Amino acid sequence: MNGLAGVRAIYAKEMLGYFRSPIAYFVIAVFLLGTGYFFTYNIFLTGIGTMDSTLQNMGILLLIISPVLTMRLFSAEYNARTMELLMTLPLQTWEVVLGKYLGAVSIFLLMTAATWINLVPLYLFGTPQTLNIIAGYLGFILLGMACIAIGQLFSALTENQIVAALITIPVLLGFWFVGHLQSLQSSLLLRDLVAHLSFALHFADFIRGLLRSEGIMFFFAVIACALTLNTGYLQLRR
Amino acid sequence: MIVLDKVSKSYGSKAIIHAISFDVKQGEIVGFLGPNGAGKTTVMRMIAGFTEASAGTVHVCGHDMATEREHAAPYIGYLPESPPLYDVLDVTTYLRFVARAKRVPAAQISQQLDRVISACRLEAVTQKECYKLSKGYRQRVGLAQALLGEPGVLLLDEPTAGLDPGQIQETREVIRNFGSKHAVLISTHILPEVTLICQRVAIINGGRLLAVDSPDGLQQKAQQSNSVLLDVVGERAAIEQALGSIDGVMGLSIRPHPVRSSVLSIDCLVQDVDGIESRIARAVMSAGELYRLERRQPTLENVFLGYIGHAGGAAVTDLQPEAA
Repeated sequence: MNGLAGVRAIYAKEMLGYFRSPIAYFVIAVFLLGTGYFFTYNIFLTGIGTMDSTLQNMGILLLIISPVLTMRLFSAEYNARTMELLMTLPLQTWEVVLGKYLGAVSIFLLMTAATWINLVPLYLFGTPQTLNIIAGYLGFILLGMACIAIGQLFSALTENQIVAALITIPVLLGFWFVGHLQSLQSSLLLRDLVAHLSFALHFADFIRGLLRSEGIMFFFAVIACALTLNTGYLQLRR
Repeated sequence: MIVLDKVSKSYGSKAIIHAISFDVKQGEIVGFLGPNGAGKTTVMRMIAGFTEASAGTVHVCGHDMATEREHAAPYIGYLPESPPLYDVLDVTTYLRFVARAKRVPAAQISQQLDRVISACRLEAVTQKECYKLSKGYRQRVGLAQALLGEPGVLLLDEPTAGLDPGQIQETREVIRNFGSKHAVLISTHILPEVTLICQRVAIINGGRLLAVDSPDGLQQKAQQSNSVLLDVVGERAAIEQALGSIDGVMGLSIRPHPVRSSVLSIDCLVQDVDGIESRIARAVMSAGELYRLERRQPTLENVFLGYIGHAGGAAVTDLQPEAA
């Protein structure tokens, strides 16, 4: 059985669903407004011609915005009783999970690409470091993919979209701020552990232009864990 | 095509389905009958692969649903109790998605869409978003998606709910045509539907299978315990004694007539023996005055009510009369 055909079918359905409802337009609009505000503030009011601060602000904004994108992924299926269709079609559970995930990631990539408009004035009036910007955006994309995987997992755990979002936001904020616990730990092992788990610290490396394999592997590990748990949970529901 | 062998389902310590066994053969339409909460939907979901049995086995087209669900799924067309539609998608886009998910080859998708749209009379709404559809159309779109992909087994959970009389006839025709070559299991509350299109009936209540037989077979079994209804004026004790002395009268239920207080309404449970009505009439006239005598033929409804444990005359709110 060709697994990719199932993933493609779910992906196509998800993409149509995004653009035939206000959700994608709303999320993209709010994200771009927020990003535009941070960019304007950081560039024109402080006069610093880099994307560093803007990317940092975009990362925090993403922790709030991405759950709005992911909260409906499974919760809405439960509510509309369409989960019964998805789970009885000739689809593997992982195909459903991956198809939905890729759909949400596509919307995220679209809104990320839309922020590149900010680079035009940056290059027109300044001399930004291109490699730093590329590394920063790569980190931002990995951060977003991890946030979406976690949000999708929590959407599968509850039938209520609002509850899904309200659980996801503190979990993402926890992953972001866990690095601050470093100073409270006397044990070196625990200090290392909270540093490794921190979205903010890994993302900060990317913003500084450091493409560390540790950071890349960390985000991929979070994505893999969340999607595996998501698939396992749906199979358990049977 | 569908074989259930001692299938049980429990949620925690609570058993919902108790060791159910029955089968549906190719070219057969089986009606699944039971009141609300009887366990019909749970059994349908286990056959469709939405949920797994806690014990026992479910086989569809030779595949064990516990271990080979992905092999059986292409052969199953399933219409759940609530039609599983995506409100933001239009009907054609929705059906195209289901066809793709069912691995219908790209070259055949348009042909299959035309077939199910025509069979379910959806031509007028193909470009409408699902949220704009009436309940009847939603039901028919749900049926159309179940028919996609040429499934060998069709599982329909109340397929005619919400349809108008004309649509009900058309839907029954679609099911009858499909059932002539494939296996169909229909869960329904509508008793006449069972007699009209089903070759066999499975009656379920409280998660237990109570009977599996043809509609005629079930009625024949009930022939042995017909009832005779009487409206009588006279002294209750005397009439009771007169009727009780008749050989073949198995039981009496006496209550005041709902309109005329001087009249007694009597329900005699009788054996199916020749001349029982005339013997009853003579006995009643010896003790009082006979106003009415009616032999009640066993109907499937009576049989069903008998199986699920309701009094013969009591109305069961779950039972919906067939649309005129």
